Amino acid sequence: MSTTLFRTIQPNHFTLLTNALLRTRRTSRHISVRCQTSTTTQQSSSQQQQPRTSAPKNHGSNKLDEILKDYEAVIGIETHVQLSTSTKAFCSCPNSYGSHPNTSICPVCMGLPGALPVLSSKVVDFGVRLGLALNCSLSLKSKFDRKQYFYPDLPKGYQISQFDVPIASGGYVDVDIPLEFGGGHRRFGITRVHMEEDAGKLLHSDAGDYSQVDLNRAGVPLLEIVSEPDIRSGVEAAEYGSEMQRIVRYLGVSNGNMQEGSLRCDVNISIRPIGQAEFGTKVEIKNLNAFSAMSRAIDYEITRQALLYNQGQADQIVTETRLWDEGAQKTVTMRKKEGLADYRYFPEPDLPEVILTQEYVDSIRASLPELPEAKRRRYEAMGLGIQDVLFLANDVSVAEYFDEVIGKGADVKSAANWLMSDIAAYLKNEELSISDVKLTPQELAELIAAIKDETISGKIGKQILFELLAKGGTVQGMIKEKDLVQITDPVEIEKMIMKVISESPKQLEQYRSGKTKLQGFFTGQVMKMSKGKANPALLNKILLEKLNAKD
Amino acid sequence: MATRALLAAVSACPRRRIGIKSSTFSSSLQFQRQESRIIARSFSSYTNSSLSLPDISRLAETARISLTPAEIEECEPKIRQVIDWFGQLQQVDVNCVEPAIRAEMEGGNLREDAPQTFENRDSIRASIPSFDETYLKVPKVLNKE
Repeated sequence: MSTTLFRTIQPNHFTLLTNALLRTRRTSRHISVRCQTSTTTQQSSSQQQQPRTSAPKNHGSNKLDEILKDYEAVIGIETHVQLSTSTKAFCSCPNSYGSHPNTSICPVCMGLPGALPVLSSKVVDFGVRLGLALNCSLSLKSKFDRKQYFYPDLPKGYQISQFDVPIASGGYVDVDIPLEFGGGHRRFGITRVHMEEDAGKLLHSDAGDYSQVDLNRAGVPLLEIVSEPDIRSGVEAAEYGSEMQRIVRYLGVSNGNMQEGSLRCDVNISIRPIGQAEFGTKVEIKNLNAFSAMSRAIDYEITRQALLYNQGQADQIVTETRLWDEGAQKTVTMRKKEGLADYRYFPEPDLPEVILTQEYVDSIRASLPELPEAKRRRYEAMGLGIQDVLFLANDVSVAEYFDEVIGKGADVKSAANWLMSDIAAYLKNEELSISDVKLTPQELAELIAAIKDETISGKIGKQILFELLAKGGTVQGMIKEKDLVQITDPVEIEKMIMKVISESPKQLEQYRSGKTKLQGFFTGQVMKMSKGKANPALLNKILLEKLNAKD
Repeated sequence: MATRALLAAVSACPRRRIGIKSSTFSSSLQFQRQESRIIARSFSSYTNSSLSLPDISRLAETARISLTPAEIEECEPKIRQVIDWFGQLQQVDVNCVEPAIRAEMEGGNLREDAPQTFENRDSIRASIPSFDETYLKVPKVLNKE
């Protein structure tokens, strides 16, 4: 998904040569920078261990590549994941997206006096799950705190969150950068994962001097994932975000839907001259509702900040929150921050500490599904190319489907090809997902086998594929019903060829006088006569013999 | 509201150890934990001072309450009392104690993830002062703080 998005937004590609030159140069520079920074700043250990094997990616913009010779971007991402629990975090109100506004409310999430929060066990379960998936250490004892601020979407006047003792911390995530952006493998540090509750939804009417509030979302559980400032480009950021989406979907803790706001990424970005150890002034970007927007917003912001540096106006880069304006394709100031926000955190007195036992953690660890990174490495080890690997592992339901198909003994490469070409195209045209199709993994495996053992031709296979996708049924049933078994008997094929040749004396003459392109005409005629069932290789072989025979 | 202001006052104070000359504590304070591990602490010998008093009008602002100058004046000694009390607490040397992040409570305090609709939603909605069809109506807000 993200790959295709990038393709559409990054039309210009550098020549390979330029890329290679820049890459070598930057690699050496980055290593030296890292050595300096590691002594002065808190860089994640994962990054220090891993020498940069790939250069910052091809951004499709010469301007940006030019900038990145002199500056390095330092990016950290805060990701809010809305959990797919049945209830809110601290009360039993239904957690259902799209309900009638202000119907899923109760004294607890409305902050009425005397109402006491009780944590849902599912939130803890999901927190542990995600923490483990991100290779974090878990706090066997963690606690909740109150984060105070006043805003109309926050009925209690504070948000229940985790401040100094989050449920999980100190992890990392591995991603593969798509080939078109330079490829390579990157590891980003995860600072922490903590549990908290969402605020209500604010809608700003264009007309009128008021805003509207829907409190159905107030109190819905969130996990916030904070990354280390290890990310260096828009492409890396988008890939980090995509991986978070894949992980929460693989784990089943969230639908990860950005449009619904189930996955929200805020980007913190600063740039610094290459070789400088201190971080530059940090700017936060919000309102990023697609990974492609995230990538473009970051590239825009790098360019904007570098321009200010180059003009000697670095002091104009101020700590602020900027919004990505999708229409104008730029970031605009939302609010300047005057010092650190004073949230006056203190321990939530209404909730006990969250205690996990080692057995509980171990049981969850044992129940974790195979995660995207493990899947990618496994597919790679099966001999699939990285493009195939990234495509198949991108969507958990596609990956599961693929696993089932090859589990039935289907040829790995063929299964990947069918899924990536014809089936993917069908899903796209029909706007369906893999779980909607009627073709079972079992039957796709049968289809692949039937083509492989030459029961049917590839062409026929394609024809019945679409019917199977739309209507279901079995490959064997369809082959019998439609009499589709491939004709592999040379005598029968020869008969058909002789018939076609005798019916087309004119074309035969033209062919023999040098117009050999007409071979295609004869192939087509025989195929038509055999209703597509003639084995193509055999057909061509015999046809050539007959056409070239001097009789 | 008053509780909020006080809590805000407390959390607004920088964390540091302060010596005081209060006589409310015995000269050798003993603290008993549940495991009946007894840790003896003694008063620090720091010179007497107090936690600095926060800016009351700023404090009122963060708690979203309006105070007249007279009220601020009236508040000040009360808040100072609270701050001083926390100053006493901070004097205790807890360096050798594992932090008790929360008061210990009985376990099994989690809830099943089973939805239940609150029956009396209508009376909650009835108490909302301003409705615009199904939404709460609030003054237009675009920026936080």
